[in-house]
Amino acid sequence: MSTPTNQAARPSAARRRRMPREVPRFVLLCILALLFLAPMYWMISTSFKNEADAISSPVQWWPARPTLENYREVLTSPDGNILRWTWNSAYVALTFTALHVLLCALTAYPLARMRFPGRNAWFWFILSSLMIPGIVTLVPTYIMMLNFGWMNSYHALIWPGISGVFGVFLLRQFFMSIPRELEEAAHLDGASSLQILWRIILPLSVPALVTLGVFAFMGSWNNFLWPLFTVTDVDKMTLPVGITTFSQRYVTDYGKLMASTTLAAIPALIAYLVAQRFLEGGLSASGLKE
Amino acid sequence: MTATPVSTPQETVRRGSGPRPRRRVSLEPYLYLLPHAALFFVFTVYPIGYGLYIAMHRWDLLSGRQPFVGLEFFRNLFIAGTPQADFFWRTLWNTTFFTLISVPLLVAAALGLALLLHRPIFGRAFFRAVFFMPGILTVSVMGILWRWMFDNQIGLVNAARELTGAPPIPWLSTEGLAWIPIIVGTIWWTLGFNMTLYLAALGNISQSFYEAAELDGATAGQQFRFITWPLLTPITLFVVITTALASFQLFGQSLVITNGGPNRSTQSVIQYITEEGFSNSQISSAAAMGFVFGLLMLVLTAAQFRLMARDVQSSGEEK
Repeated sequence: MSTPTNQAARPSAARRRRMPREVPRFVLLCILALLFLAPMYWMISTSFKNEADAISSPVQWWPARPTLENYREVLTSPDGNILRWTWNSAYVALTFTALHVLLCALTAYPLARMRFPGRNAWFWFILSSLMIPGIVTLVPTYIMMLNFGWMNSYHALIWPGISGVFGVFLLRQFFMSIPRELEEAAHLDGASSLQILWRIILPLSVPALVTLGVFAFMGSWNNFLWPLFTVTDVDKMTLPVGITTFSQRYVTDYGKLMASTTLAAIPALIAYLVAQRFLEGGLSASGLKE
Repeated sequence: MTATPVSTPQETVRRGSGPRPRRRVSLEPYLYLLPHAALFFVFTVYPIGYGLYIAMHRWDLLSGRQPFVGLEFFRNLFIAGTPQADFFWRTLWNTTFFTLISVPLLVAAALGLALLLHRPIFGRAFFRAVFFMPGILTVSVMGILWRWMFDNQIGLVNAARELTGAPPIPWLSTEGLAWIPIIVGTIWWTLGFNMTLYLAALGNISQSFYEAAELDGATAGQQFRFITWPLLTPITLFVVITTALASFQLFGQSLVITNGGPNRSTQSVIQYITEEGFSNSQISSAAAMGFVFGLLMLVLTAAQFRLMARDVQSSGEEK
């Protein structure tokens, strides 16, 4: 990641001579990249400005008097605890991801590798639920949470989406591509189906499991609408919701606002740098297999 | 609907080729299915029926009484003059407007970026990362950031206008103009996803097509028109449908950037449904709206489902 960054910042003259045809394309890409990076740079730069400098005119592209004051105030603010929200988000997203991947794997396994009455019927039945738009179940699920007494609890954030079907579909497709001979050999050696799943199918499916895991984690981590309405207790909020309530309080204090959004963006940026390969690869794999 | 064609070839091949012992019907597969199935019934199947039940009763969270009212709440949506009908269709139009503007931009710009980045170029991985990265931000971070970029007084956009001597524009509080921060922010936020799908599709086009075209003296424009574009049709269809579906789910962007304003002009239908249900406590009315909006979405979802089903079928037949 870091190497191409440095190189792109100073394209050497030698390189430019070697591929003159690429120059216009390269320049265009650089301009677009600057446009894409500008908002994020602006966010970070503002987070280091004091209140007056943040709204000074003409704008300060680089903070004239850089300060960490915004970060200090945001992290110690009595109106909300960013670290606490980050922890809530991480706890909910990790629990959700682990349970979801496990459930999907257990379901995809017989659907892909066993023969039994009703197999296809069940597969198409659950798959057809992908056609039901989420908005249809929003209000009833909300009332169910009220009835369960799950408002302001992690349960409301974890359970309702856990039986999603896309993961079953993804894993079933992947499991079906594993050669049957491996399974048959293990079967002759007396392995149980659970052992076959655990020792053969799952280890061979790591790419698919990671792809599903990354998607589940991202989905849960970035979920906004549902936690906005089911969690109103400041200590139980997840990061996206907490940051929003925070921004409503400090609506004009842009230094603090940008410090809090920068803090909120850091976990996602780190996760992206770590999981970049899987993220983009998984995205294209989940699209169309041409 | 296509269950038989998917399974039959596979099963016949297997039955014919292997001297596998015929197993009795065992409970085993069903035990594997059980945990997911139980949760699937509780959180997917049941809420659909429960939602219909709620929509056909007058749900009062305070009194706890729920008298049956039949289709009244559905009917209200189709009687001009009720506030529900007024706001529901107005916000539905807002959402449709957003979709009609953002989808062509998000598809065309993504294809353009992918074409720029498809052939090897210096710093390719870096550019890919730059265009993809905004998408990992959560919608509230993206929204707060773009609200400020377009701030009426001191936003960066107005500051840039000031350099040229132009007066600041009150983007966020002018009807019509308030869509611009939402749309620009959304493009910045989601373009990278579509670009990645296009890059994968471009990578799958055999180089030999282009080599042959080059021998025949085809220009770059002709190559795009007669090779690239036709071969990209399936992925374009997929990107258009998924992007349209995502755009119809508009909620966080307009909530955070404009809070639906000014004068509800950027309020999305989902924001209105949640307002009706959770802020105004008109639970049954919101449930009915959810069904009506869901039904409209079903058409789009069905198109996407067909694309996926074709995928299942082809990968089933491979074996």
